[in-house]
Amino acid sequence: MLCKDVVENIMGYIDAELDYETLNELEKHIDMCPECMAFVMTYRRMLELTGKLKERTFVTPEVRNRLKELLRSKLKS
Amino acid sequence: MSSGFIKGIFGLINRGDENKSDSSYLTDGDLVQKFVNENNQAALGEIFNRYVEKVYGIALRITGNPSYAEEVLQEVFLTLIKKAHTFRGEAKLSSWVYRVTVNASFMHLRAEKKYESNVSLDNYVPYDEKGTLMGKIKAKDWSSRPDIIIFSKEALETIEKSVNELPESFRIVYHLRDVEGLSNEEISKILDLSVPAVKSRLHRARLFLRDRLSDYFDEWRKIS
Repeated sequence: MLCKDVVENIMGYIDAELDYETLNELEKHIDMCPECMAFVMTYRRMLELTGKLKERTFVTPEVRNRLKELLRSKLKS
Repeated sequence: MSSGFIKGIFGLINRGDENKSDSSYLTDGDLVQKFVNENNQAALGEIFNRYVEKVYGIALRITGNPSYAEEVLQEVFLTLIKKAHTFRGEAKLSSWVYRVTVNASFMHLRAEKKYESNVSLDNYVPYDEKGTLMGKIKAKDWSSRPDIIIFSKEALETIEKSVNELPESFRIVYHLRDVEGLSNEEISKILDLSVPAVKSRLHRARLFLRDRLSDYFDEWRKIS
């Protein structure tokens, strides 16, 4: 297995969708390859960080109020 | 539509999470049925509360413009009220809302011909032609940095900015999967893409974002 195979299988690895043989080969490679170990670890940390984007809110009270006014006018017409 | 009915909806839209109604435990499908069959104001208000952030967030991600995102938000909720009676229980309301939102957002984008990315990700890979990682990943390994640095406001702003650099077709897949948490199958239906195409775009987007974060943390290390 090459580093390329680790990269191309990373989603399946993270989502636990790899077959046993591929998983076994991939983990053997990662254990022996510092580059791939760093790749997997930073990939996992990136997913943790991007998960924080879910917690952000964007709709301001002004946006809600304008939505309210628009719906009011449309529903009355 | 009666004025009492309209007033009821607006009261519910404005209500915060701290005052959840009895409708908050119902499924989306139940809420739609209650709204359509019983003219239930609380049900419609609950649907609004569940989707207002999601719709606006997707629209903002696609258009990159708060004004356009707000227009999309208004279009989607107007469409929701008008078309609720056509909604069938076997479909997921969330998929329907996401699809309407995505389509409306792309229409705005096309009309304005703005916010196009210069980044090409079709062949984006971190390895060389021999399939090796070239020694660059380990040198910039930031995975063991403390959480206070990794989850800092600046790091979040960096990832937000990097997401917005993605080409639109990658950006929306990424947002629906990693921000909204939809499955690949749901995204394929919403965007009319095959599941392998969804996975491919998500994969390239994540590789790009991981690289951007590595550059950011490497710069941060050099100056600190």
